[in-house]
Amino acid sequence: MRHTRRHFVQGLGVAGAGMLMDTASAQGEIPKRPLGKTGLQVSALGVGGYHIGTTETDDEANRIVAEAIDAGINFFDNAWEYHDGKSETRMGNALKGKRDQVVLMTKVCTHGRKKDVAMRMLEESLKRLQTDHLDIWQVHEVVYDNDPDLIFAKDGAIEALDQAKQQGKVRFVGFTGHKDPAIHLKMLSHNYAFDTVQMPLNCFDASYRSFETQVLPELSKRGIAPLGMKSMSGSGEGVRNGAVTAAEALRYAMSLPVAVTISGMESLEVLHQNLEVARGFQAMNATELTALRNRVRLYATDGRFELFKSTKKYDGALGRELHGFPTPEQLPA
Amino acid sequence: MASIPLRALGKTNVQVSALGMGGHHLGDAKDEKTAVQLVHDAVDGGITFFDNCWEYHLGKSEEWLGKGLKGRRDKAFLMTKVCTHGRDSGLAMRMLEESLRRLQTDHLDLWQIHGVTFDNDPELFARKGGAAEALTLAKKQGKVRFVGFTGHKDPDIHLKMLQTNYPFDAVQMPLNAFDGTFRSFETKVLPELQRRGIGALGMKPFSGHGEPVMKGVTTPEETLRYAMSLPVATTITGMEKPEVLKQNLAIAQGFQPMSEAEMGALRERCATYGDGRFELYKTSIKYDNPEARMAHGFPVDMQSKETQEMLKATKNDGKPFQE
Repeated sequence: MRHTRRHFVQGLGVAGAGMLMDTASAQGEIPKRPLGKTGLQVSALGVGGYHIGTTETDDEANRIVAEAIDAGINFFDNAWEYHDGKSETRMGNALKGKRDQVVLMTKVCTHGRKKDVAMRMLEESLKRLQTDHLDIWQVHEVVYDNDPDLIFAKDGAIEALDQAKQQGKVRFVGFTGHKDPAIHLKMLSHNYAFDTVQMPLNCFDASYRSFETQVLPELSKRGIAPLGMKSMSGSGEGVRNGAVTAAEALRYAMSLPVAVTISGMESLEVLHQNLEVARGFQAMNATELTALRNRVRLYATDGRFELFKSTKKYDGALGRELHGFPTPEQLPA
Repeated sequence: MASIPLRALGKTNVQVSALGMGGHHLGDAKDEKTAVQLVHDAVDGGITFFDNCWEYHLGKSEEWLGKGLKGRRDKAFLMTKVCTHGRDSGLAMRMLEESLRRLQTDHLDLWQIHGVTFDNDPELFARKGGAAEALTLAKKQGKVRFVGFTGHKDPDIHLKMLQTNYPFDAVQMPLNAFDGTFRSFETKVLPELQRRGIGALGMKPFSGHGEPVMKGVTTPEETLRYAMSLPVATTITGMEKPEVLKQNLAIAQGFQPMSEAEMGALRERCATYGDGRFELYKTSIKYDNPEARMAHGFPVDMQSKETQEMLKATKNDGKPFQE
């Protein structure tokens, strides 16, 4: 049941050795890549849900989504907890009449709580997103050392993933986290049949608590679709500092063997900037990738441009509360 | 009055008290008079180990300890730390002179690299021109007897420091019942120090700011006793008020270590909090000082006491820094 369309994608796109071969880029389109073993094809660039909630007006959010789809983006990310539901509500409105053109993902925010909490969140997400099913449903923010234990505990969130799949409310499942490759590997060690796994991937990551070197190869081996995020350090920290340009940062991330690179685009300006890289995308070759990694290594090794790994800054309020940590106001980082 | 046990500091042939007085909290004392009295009472109570650091309260901690130890310097094993945070040995030597002046002494018993908390700190320490060269030079000049390092973040960073094979005399780290099962210095670093004969200094027995005690998860007595029962030379803890000093002296005087079984039971109780909520120095940058953050290009926290002190120091109100 789980991988009925497996035959469709084997051997395409994401090669084990980490080399990436996109087709269709020559025509100036955004390349599509197989999403692991799911049979789905997704655009190499995806729209991040968090930033849809920070966009100034509903109207601009609608235009970002519409323009993205017109440009060939079909991957849309979200999470139950982003801006108290505003991100999902906005995306639901923006996708009205376009639902069947996209691969829609959202995430469940149990942060260690039980299956019933997850199932309630799923209903809320579906309602806000104005759809009867999700293409991908992921466990959100697996960032605390004991999260894997709590997620896989009896009656934990993992059972909700199974149930939602059985009920046909979600097609594929996965998890995401921005903290530590060791936590991701702990999740994978349970050998649960995840379809997707999301993680920070950027030119700094390779030299600091690296998902690229520790998690990506494991996903390739298992045929799980890797979803990249935080190509610009989360809030463009590395770009603002002048360590890299936005185009370099995005190109690096998109050149890794991932299905999609999810990027937050809170304005049309940022969307256009990203589209310039994604249209007719040309992956960096191994030499270019190494050169960029080496160039930024000095900044990378203390984690200053990956504050989601090295500080509490990117750990959400709800997760902190449920893990007994101080609020973002009390403990900004 | 039973005395505080003395223990050997690694291979140094020096004995230090099993309880040590933390320098950061000394600067949190109500005023200078209170701080000086705390130092006097600590010496009288049998504490010989005094901790400090160049960057604590912009020098106030060192100044107050210097005043407190006036006439008592020979009764103390005096440690302070240097705050290069990856910067060069020349800076370290300038900081040493400043520390000696504030502490009113011509030598330190122990000088440690402070805040080894960023993944690349070991690399920066050992590089050509790095702080390691300052440790060697200061020893040669007779300005420090022994050298070491400290950090509160990750046992793997400590192990990386040890892998440089620099001849450290002492190494400081957080040790408490929560650490026993979470990114554990107790299980990863302590055995390595024993193997090498390096003096182990414990800190943060109360999780930094006493969070588990305040939340009723552990009692002060079991919390401190656990840390002091580990194979360490001393357990450094902050005592900014006479009541706290009194409470800790009562535990340390005539100290009886916990049994293996007691320790195991407490560790197990604390393991429930396997997300690091009671070790924020490991899981957040709250305990990373602005000096360290700026040297590493990290954002500073405007709410933090240290940042506030730095901002206050920029105001020219015609008065000296201390109130």
